[in-house]
Amino acid sequence: MRDYIRLAGVLLIVCAIAAVILGYTNEITYQKIADQIEKANTEARQLVLSSADEFTKLDEAAMASIVSNPDYSIIREIYQAKAGGNLVGYTVAVAPKGYAGKIEMIVGVDVNGVVQGVKIGTNSETPGLGKNAEKPAFYEQYNSKTWDNQINVIKSGTPKENEIVAIAGSTITSKGVTEGVNKAMVVAKELSGK
Amino acid sequence: MSLFKDFSNGLIKENPVLRLVLGTCPTLAVTTAVFNGIGMGLAATAVLIGSNLIISLIKKLVPNEVRIPIYVVVIASFVTVVQMLIKAYAPDLDKSLGIFIPLIVVNCIILARAESFAAKNPPMNSIMDGIGMGLGFTLALVIISAFREVLGAGTFFGMQLFGAGFKPALIMILPPGGFLIFGLTIAAVNKLTARKKA
Repeated sequence: MRDYIRLAGVLLIVCAIAAVILGYTNEITYQKIADQIEKANTEARQLVLSSADEFTKLDEAAMASIVSNPDYSIIREIYQAKAGGNLVGYTVAVAPKGYAGKIEMIVGVDVNGVVQGVKIGTNSETPGLGKNAEKPAFYEQYNSKTWDNQINVIKSGTPKENEIVAIAGSTITSKGVTEGVNKAMVVAKELSGK
Repeated sequence: MSLFKDFSNGLIKENPVLRLVLGTCPTLAVTTAVFNGIGMGLAATAVLIGSNLIISLIKKLVPNEVRIPIYVVVIASFVTVVQMLIKAYAPDLDKSLGIFIPLIVVNCIILARAESFAAKNPPMNSIMDGIGMGLGFTLALVIISAFREVLGAGTFFGMQLFGAGFKPALIMILPPGGFLIFGLTIAAVNKLTARKKA
């Protein structure tokens, strides 16, 4: 009986020490990590909509009404992009379903409905296959697509104006990313009232 | 001399992947590109050294009956602390190696070395064992991923190797290719070491 108490006691002490160390590390790194993420997000927004110099988050009421629409369930964050105080477009953070979990990505759409840039963020796609979505050769295909036409994925051949070529062996990833861009375009169109 | 032996043990003789057949899941998962192999290997090496050292230091305090849960707590805490520190202070490193770090918690090589080596040996030897095993793991990952990346994607370390006419054998970076190359590499290492003995 005493043995059990001793064993449980040792385990308890080890876990308690581990908890204190983890809590303390979290305490000193939490703010730093949040800052790093914010910095990376700002850079990403700048990258997909380079003509803008200021980004303001869409107000909560407008955002809430967008995400309450089940069609827009993959939309995470929307920023209004401004240049010299004038609205030039929107950056839409979306997280469509890929082959292995969600693909976090950000899409920049200008007020004329043209996709200015796409950046793929955190994802668990297969390295060497779906992960190739992170390469410019793939995501730059979305540049200059417009919200007048939804984008379709083709497996090979020469893409038409509203088509992109899938990554070889990764059709699901390609369709996921395309879904993200399509939804971002639609919501940007709705917001701009056009 | 014995320190060096502990170090070299993990490279070929008891290579964790090719001889002990440990950590096959991360091996198959990350060896689609050489960069990933090196990243995973080096991150695992760092964790192995740290966890081996800590476990060797506390080995006298740990009751035999609950040693496994204690090792798991120690390894998981160590990995999490390292991950938080990297995220906060080295964001560039986090970008390239970040995704491998959580995978290490479930890497059985770490627990296996804690159990079979660090729990029985002094700290210095445990560190050497960690370095040797870690580099052995890295070596195996680099060999396997080199074959898979060159055959399956036509690149090495991200560099294009062949002209546009080269059609990569996609199967090599898909899971079946992983098993194929994994098996062939083990066979080759067995063949080579067997010949040495004879």
